[in-house]
Amino acid sequence: MILLGGIPSEPPLRRVAEALAALGAEYRLFNQRRCADCAIALLIDANGVGGTLRLQNETLDLRDITAVYFRLMDDRLLPELEAEPEGSPARRHARAVHDTLYRWMEIAPGRVVNRCDPQGSNGAKPYQAQLIARYGLRVPETLISNDPAAVLAFRATHGSIIYKSMSGVRSIVKMLDDEDVARLDDIRWCPVQFQELVPGVDVRVHVVDRDVFPTEIVSDATDYRYARQSGGSATLRAIELDADLAARCVALTAGLGLSFAGIDLRLGPDGTATCFEVNPSPAYSYYEANTGQPIAASLARYLAGG
Amino acid sequence: MILVLCEEMDVSALWAADALRMRGLAPRVVTGADLAGAVTWDHRVGAAGADCEIRLADGSRLRGSDTRGVLNRLSYLPAAWLRRYGGPDRDYALQEMHAFYLSWLHALPGPVLNPPTPQGLAGNWRHPSAWTALAVQAGLAVRAYCQTSNDDPALPWQTTQATARVVVVGAQVVGPAALVERNEAACLRLSQAAGAPLLGIDFTHDPTEGWQMTGATVMPELAGIGAAMHQAALADALADALAGVLAA
Repeated sequence: MILLGGIPSEPPLRRVAEALAALGAEYRLFNQRRCADCAIALLIDANGVGGTLRLQNETLDLRDITAVYFRLMDDRLLPELEAEPEGSPARRHARAVHDTLYRWMEIAPGRVVNRCDPQGSNGAKPYQAQLIARYGLRVPETLISNDPAAVLAFRATHGSIIYKSMSGVRSIVKMLDDEDVARLDDIRWCPVQFQELVPGVDVRVHVVDRDVFPTEIVSDATDYRYARQSGGSATLRAIELDADLAARCVALTAGLGLSFAGIDLRLGPDGTATCFEVNPSPAYSYYEANTGQPIAASLARYLAGG
Repeated sequence: MILVLCEEMDVSALWAADALRMRGLAPRVVTGADLAGAVTWDHRVGAAGADCEIRLADGSRLRGSDTRGVLNRLSYLPAAWLRRYGGPDRDYALQEMHAFYLSWLHALPGPVLNPPTPQGLAGNWRHPSAWTALAVQAGLAVRAYCQTSNDDPALPWQTTQATARVVVVGAQVVGPAALVERNEAACLRLSQAAGAPLLGIDFTHDPTEGWQMTGATVMPELAGIGAAMHQAALADALADALAGVLAA
């Protein structure tokens, strides 16, 4: 039995559900918007991890669930709870269901896409960069400092540099321009991450277990994810990676404890790949819709044990 | 240089530093207040690996490349730093600084007790459910753990009072002999599976079930753990794990 969780209409979840149906795989869906009708009991003892999950009218034995794919939104923001005051029984129930589900997901045997702990590295980019480098992928030259002089020296060495957040918050890439330099003293309050500007073409590589789906993105924006907001454009197309680079992406994904990841690379003019980060919960549907790459089908096969 | 990173009032860390000194090591204690008052941070990641240089308020420098081992007792950002920041950007600054500390600590070479993780700067601060599941896999007898959607997740889950504790330090397990003899291998497996070479593991004794694990912590108390022989064994184990120094 495969368990999906999230908002059924959300494209990444909807596409996997459709792919599982096409495969004929048995699955159930934990619909967050109906969590008022759900209940869960988790038991851990000498026999391992067990318990039950009630989804509306059906109760599942947690031991029968062999794979999980969750795209859960923050339960506090569910539309069904909008009118509920803080601490209301409905809010408390929703919180308790989600908390217990998360606890179970973290320790459940079987294929879980993805557990929470391994996703944590994405919340600290320079830490994740150190992990990425272990797998033979180049990472951008990075300086994190609260010293304006060090930043200026870094820029003198590398020419154009960018800055971006270290955590997962406000993660937008920006060029360091003269206006930024004029207010560089502000960094004395908190170190800021600066990186060399790496020339080349952006490639998002989705890895599902051992399947690799590279997508080239041609954009005139510094950060293609925000191309539209900055008045630019982005064009996506499926490409092939050389076998060695593809193998490194697979090893990196597994090494981070993930079975599904979106890896952000930039391929330089000389063919060198620089890896910026690994997204552990990729919204792959944007790439699939623009390229036709069968990412959801691959994920469905993986969940089904293939 | 053996580095001891801790909050100013961390009696365990200060005891450990003294114990290391008595075993011929010269640990450098750097407190959260020292770090909060640092004048400059310079942390680099790239083709040459990762390194960091910190200039402290007293003018001294702390270089990652000078470090040979770390007793890391900073489970979160220094309290002295947290006290300084407020305003609308405080949460963002916290996230950024946490990411920064995680990367810096990860870059420190040598044995680190404990290595930082995204779930805790001094090791993964696991939920009791995760510790219980990990302990079962490691072969320890456990108190059964139950959580349901009728329970309030904000309430504390660990209700069983521990009656004994062992401390794993590297390849050694220190604590009451009866407990260590029966559980040494499983405790070492738990420490390894948890990625925490320094781990306190709590037990309670059930008349019929025997010793049962009730919880674990990556920030165990090190000072005053019990009998003098255990305290000495713990000091030896720390010295051994950090610098390969075994007391005679």
